[in-house]
Amino acid sequence: MKNFGNENYTPENYKYVGKVNVPRKDAKDIVSGKAMFLDDYKLPRMLIAKTLRSPYAHAKIKSIDTSEAEKLNGVVAVVTYKDVDQNMKMGWPPTKPILGEELMYVGDPVAFVAAETEQIAEDALPLIKVEYEELPAVTNALDAVKDDAPQLYPDLFKNNIITPGYAPFQKDGPFWHLIKGDIDKGFEDCAFIAEDTVEFAKMAAPNAPEAPGAIVRWEGGKNFTVWCDTQSGHICKTLNNIVMPDANFDVRTFNVGGSYGNKQSQVMQVMSALILSMKTNRPVKVFQSKVEQMCCFETRLGSQVHAKIGMDKDGVIQAVKGEWTVDAGCLSNTTQGQVGVGIGEAQLVMAKCPNWDLDTNLVATNKQPAGIVRGYGGQELNSCLSLLIGRTMREGNFDPVEVYKKNYVCEGDVYTWRDGRQWQAHSVNYVKAIEESSKKFDWKGKWKGWGIPTWESEDGTLVRGVGCGIIGNADIGEDNTEAYVRVVPDLFTDKSRVVIQTNITESGMGQRSNIIKMVADVLNVDYDMVDITPPEIKINPTGFGLCGSRGTICYGHAVSSAAEDVRQKLYDLAVPFLEVTTDSMYMTDYGVATLARPGKFVSWKKLIPPDLTLTGYGQHLENFSTPNMFMIFVEVEVNKETGQVKLVDCLGGTDCGQAIDPAMLEMQVQSGIGSASLDTAIYEEHVIDPSILRTMTYDMIEYKWRPFNDFPTYETCVLESQFDTFQFKATGVGEIAGAAAASATMQAISNAIGVQVATYPATPDVILKALEKL
Amino acid sequence: MAKDTINLSVNGIDYTFSIGDNFGQVPCNETLLDTLRNRLNLTAAKKACDEGACGCCTVIKDGDAVPSCMTLLADCDGCQITTLEGLSDPVTGELSELQQKFIDYYAFQCGFCTPGIIMTTKALLDKNPHPTEEEIRDALSGNYCRCISHYHVFEAVNAIAGRPEDLDEKWEGRR
Ligand code: FES
Ligand code: FES
Repeated sequence: MKNFGNENYTPENYKYVGKVNVPRKDAKDIVSGKAMFLDDYKLPRMLIAKTLRSPYAHAKIKSIDTSEAEKLNGVVAVVTYKDVDQNMKMGWPPTKPILGEELMYVGDPVAFVAAETEQIAEDALPLIKVEYEELPAVTNALDAVKDDAPQLYPDLFKNNIITPGYAPFQKDGPFWHLIKGDIDKGFEDCAFIAEDTVEFAKMAAPNAPEAPGAIVRWEGGKNFTVWCDTQSGHICKTLNNIVMPDANFDVRTFNVGGSYGNKQSQVMQVMSALILSMKTNRPVKVFQSKVEQMCCFETRLGSQVHAKIGMDKDGVIQAVKGEWTVDAGCLSNTTQGQVGVGIGEAQLVMAKCPNWDLDTNLVATNKQPAGIVRGYGGQELNSCLSLLIGRTMREGNFDPVEVYKKNYVCEGDVYTWRDGRQWQAHSVNYVKAIEESSKKFDWKGKWKGWGIPTWESEDGTLVRGVGCGIIGNADIGEDNTEAYVRVVPDLFTDKSRVVIQTNITESGMGQRSNIIKMVADVLNVDYDMVDITPPEIKINPTGFGLCGSRGTICYGHAVSSAAEDVRQKLYDLAVPFLEVTTDSMYMTDYGVATLARPGKFVSWKKLIPPDLTLTGYGQHLENFSTPNMFMIFVEVEVNKETGQVKLVDCLGGTDCGQAIDPAMLEMQVQSGIGSASLDTAIYEEHVIDPSILRTMTYDMIEYKWRPFNDFPTYETCVLESQFDTFQFKATGVGEIAGAAAASATMQAISNAIGVQVATYPATPDVILKALEKL
Repeated sequence: MAKDTINLSVNGIDYTFSIGDNFGQVPCNETLLDTLRNRLNLTAAKKACDEGACGCCTVIKDGDAVPSCMTLLADCDGCQITTLEGLSDPVTGELSELQQKFIDYYAFQCGFCTPGIIMTTKALLDKNPHPTEEEIRDALSGNYCRCISHYHVFEAVNAIAGRPEDLDEKWEGRR
């Protein structure tokens, strides 16, 4: 047996951490259909709600008549803006009423109906008679800031520019503009400079397979029980409290059918169900259709960047000046935080750059809301800036791998994070991971230089090219987190169970099971003997959920500390039994033993008063000092006749400190192809009809996604350098697995065809235009 | 002429449904997916796109994998339907070999697409116990997985098709 228990956190001591030896706790439920998702859940007397939506991008309701709908047998309530407090506003700052007289995008809610069945609710919608006054609309952020543009919220914002700053993230004041060093002088020292406007603005859909939804039961007063398919009950509560500050929410979640950072706040789903629940005094369920999810739920941010980047003769970036226009759609759902992280992530990639003037404008337009998606602003900015970094590299004829190696953040580098504060990178260094990944991909063998294909078919029709991209995020230490670990002795055996109390919703990353592995190792118990409480915010202490790959460090730190705390309590209680000091004790067989007096042992059960339990407490305090890193290499094949791009090969490389579950980590790495990441460079986009301003890619037939029979080979290269982060020396990395993939793919395409392509996505028409064949 | 009752077997149990618009009857436009989920409480098959594009609602109908959101109950008279709930042993809960392989190879993340993927695979293997890689890819081409569990799904299905990747070798020193 391993002597684990004396702060001995090294891989050889772990029974579960770092191993592929136990299935996820919910594995059997998932493969047998027992796993519960929101849509599988029902409450007695539950009503189903449906929403009537605006056919116009910008309009005013001239008149609305709900009487016919109300008469329909089975309809229980119909509400319009006239029934809803206009101070119940969503967004940051509070911007847009839940139901308003003015409609801001095609799909904006006009009325909610609650009925006995879904069919009745649907049948009621066309019975609502509405007269609209169409208003001029603007759907491009650069147009929206012009003086003559339609104003969406004239009382709140000038030129549609949303107030910067998100107070809970930025306690010292708003942070939206990074100024450092002497920008003019910085450019004077540069040998290679690129300047251009680049867009990543097709606002692709993360499209989790499970649509957003909520069930709300009004409990009287301002008390509500909410069942929601949010990936974070805590964030869902927080953002809904912006709308109703004094509401007392008890948010409960089930397994979540994919989120990718996207299904978090769910304000519209929760609030529409809440309003109807108060009106009917019955539980109300809202579950979006796929078309609603595609056309009305949050997309990726639109990103338009005019920037100038300068590099010195050694390939080190010395100056960055830029104006980042962020299209938030019809409202900002704390997008200010994403802007802060985007600026932060740019600095991690260009960490040696002393001179910055990176300004941002967050803009409202007449489109469905944009918001949080895996990559959290970093991907949207990186997809633009990396193309310009690429141009400076190309001018200097630098190998991008060498440039990224020189410029990427490592221990000692200082950056300004989303809180506006200065942070210094601690413990991390990714040079080796970059080198090993590049070797495994055979970058040196495949990279022939800028604009030169790796391979060409004999007739010259097919060409291949390679590209690479790098990104990182310091949010992996974000947000304060708490946990309890409770030892619960069995009544009739000498064993004990261990219960972890912390708020984690499972949305695919396996982190509920990963923290169980950690606790099982700290207490030296079987994985099967450790349970975790359901993801509900009332029964668990504070936990923001699995956003920004924070799960590993934040929850890992909190639960490991809680397990250590209860372990120390057990040691203290064991002193009279073992008659030694606690520093020679260790955990074994659901009890405590000591190295000092072999054979001495006392069970936990004996140490804890009958029928009671013993609880440890642990916390993690926010810390942005250990950014992660993910480097992706891609090879594409382009058909120069048809303009078709085929993804041939990928390699994802990282150093994660210590892998908690290598198999799950491998899947997180591969998942960078999904969630509107890599394929935003090839075919994923939302297309809006320019005349009627409706989304043409409104369902899964029109919206392009990658099917099973079109996957490239994918290799991973994961180093485990044991960084100084928390007990298990791990970092989280899954979030950013696809964040640099789009820019890497663009680079590969440009190298394959020998012409620089900068339009996302590089669909056949884009390629053929670049080749001057269209 | 349209029938007014529909007889079908779901996971080996026989059901008779009355078609009509009265309370408790199945309207003629009700999908098999809604019947399974709302009337029989078989919720493994998921409603995701509800238009035949994503495969999350896949069940097996008379041996073929079908999107149950595009299948009317009224068209299932005399049919044998199998859902994911029908794969494990009804009494002991013991998993089928295919389900167990999905666990062994970690072939899911969020698991929302998994019921459909397993049922598509099951229909393929029932007809063709040793499919080639290409046959597996083609069979699954209508199944959407946004978490990108594809590589692990291939490993799981390959294993059962007779091309197992040795997990002890893959995770050497990690078992
Ligand atoms: S829900 Fe049936 S195919 Fe998507
Ligand atoms: S595992 Fe989540 S969509 Fe496939």
